[in-house]
Amino acid sequence: MTRQDVLEQTKKIIYDCFPDMKDIDLQEDSVINTETAIDSMGFVLVICKLEALFDVRIPERQWKKLQTLGDVVDAIWKRIA
Amino acid sequence: MRFDSFEHMLRHFALTTPDAPALRYEKETLSFAALRSRVLTRSGELKNTGKSCLGLLCDGSLDNVVELFAANLAGLQVVLLDASLEAEVLKTLIHYTDVDLLWGDEELKDELEISLMSGVRDGAGRILFFTSGTTERSKAVVLTDHSLCQSAWNGSAKLPLSPQDTLLCLLPLGHVFGFVCGLLWGLSCGCCVALGRGQRHYIDDCDFYRPTAVSVVPMLLGFLMKMRCVNPELKLVLVGAGDCPPSLLSAAAASGLRVSFGYGLTETSSGVAISVSGDPYAMEVCPDDRISIAEDGEILIEAPTCIMQGYYKRPDATREVLRDGVFHSGDLGRFDENGLLHITGRKKDILVLPDGTKIFLPEYESALMQTLGHTELAVMLKDDRPVLVFSGEGDAKGIFEKLRDLMRSLPRGQQITEVLLTDEPLPRTATGKIKRWELQQKVRTIA
Repeated sequence: MTRQDVLEQTKKIIYDCFPDMKDIDLQEDSVINTETAIDSMGFVLVICKLEALFDVRIPERQWKKLQTLGDVVDAIWKRIA
Repeated sequence: MRFDSFEHMLRHFALTTPDAPALRYEKETLSFAALRSRVLTRSGELKNTGKSCLGLLCDGSLDNVVELFAANLAGLQVVLLDASLEAEVLKTLIHYTDVDLLWGDEELKDELEISLMSGVRDGAGRILFFTSGTTERSKAVVLTDHSLCQSAWNGSAKLPLSPQDTLLCLLPLGHVFGFVCGLLWGLSCGCCVALGRGQRHYIDDCDFYRPTAVSVVPMLLGFLMKMRCVNPELKLVLVGAGDCPPSLLSAAAASGLRVSFGYGLTETSSGVAISVSGDPYAMEVCPDDRISIAEDGEILIEAPTCIMQGYYKRPDATREVLRDGVFHSGDLGRFDENGLLHITGRKKDILVLPDGTKIFLPEYESALMQTLGHTELAVMLKDDRPVLVFSGEGDAKGIFEKLRDLMRSLPRGQQITEVLLTDEPLPRTATGKIKRWELQQKVRTIA
């Protein structure tokens, strides 16, 4: 498993959860709450699915700090690498 | 039944229904007798610390609830803090409210320890909640276990639960709506309160606890409905702390849920009016409260049993809103022909332009959202002219194009003069309201 794998899996989960976003090319610096149109509840859903997929637990206190797609990937990668 | 204090409530049920479940958290269940016993034990320990003001870094757990009741019983002032806030913000709040003892996450406590103060002399019974800061910086609202218990009674008089019910508490305890309508409402009716296991379990808490009632903010109701994670036993949803779109309401009703709305503020210890009949937007005033409508439409509240003592260390701010026992809510409303209260907007959400023209923001922004098909926007003033702050992808020219017809229908003074694009999400409170004071500061920096 590489960091790139985590990135691809994260993007896949976002696209699966939000099919309307298929046309958006997500980048590492894409800001989750605005560029992706994922609201705060949608963000909770994505994080929960990622936690289950990678069997990691990101403390809720840190969720607010995850602003970009890259931040999310880093938070997971840090816990499995 | 009406209770004078947390201890009165716990003692009553510990004596009358000692084995009935009071609290559930994950797989642990505490009966009323066990809950009171733990509260009494912990209260004794807290008395021996010699401390006088406890800052609770709320995590919504069973221990969190026990600590809160115990500190109150021990005569400590209790300050409910949102543990998800940045440490620097928490330090400021701790300093402001004289906290000399912390409870919560050990790592966070260590970080905050340095900001502890020397406590208070007269804090017994006080519970401090922070206002949501929708229109200005957060203030600590001084409530008491007495006022909170009266508020819970007020609500349950209109919307009673039975001991056979299970109330799911999903909202943060540091939010007065979450505390009163997610916790006290259930306990004061003698029913079991299931404590939500955090945001990551929003999706499966209903399935795990099988509640019959739940208190939510509109955004959370939307999530529960969208994800279809409502259990078949759930029959009652109490929605508060924000406007709920009719489409969401229809979806809830189609699922067989009874939806009630509550209206109230932190300053009134939560709800003062609640809808109990067919129309969820038409609310009956709670028994202890008197509501009148001022000439300008502002909702004025007399709630002698539930009203705050004041804003902590802010007598000036208290005098602005609480005069001769009447609380000036800042919200606009009207009574219909049946005497039911309808909320029509927020007085503080009015922009007044230099020419005297007024813009009623909820209505205006709703029209903009509808036209643009985008909800992350707000209207603010820049150089005394209305500008649109648009959060997300878009270009100013395209946005203006879409708004052309709408703008033409408005007086010139109310027309949007500039579109400010931002990548950042709009600053919002825990309940989803825009923090206008904060956004106004940012308007100056948005290109």
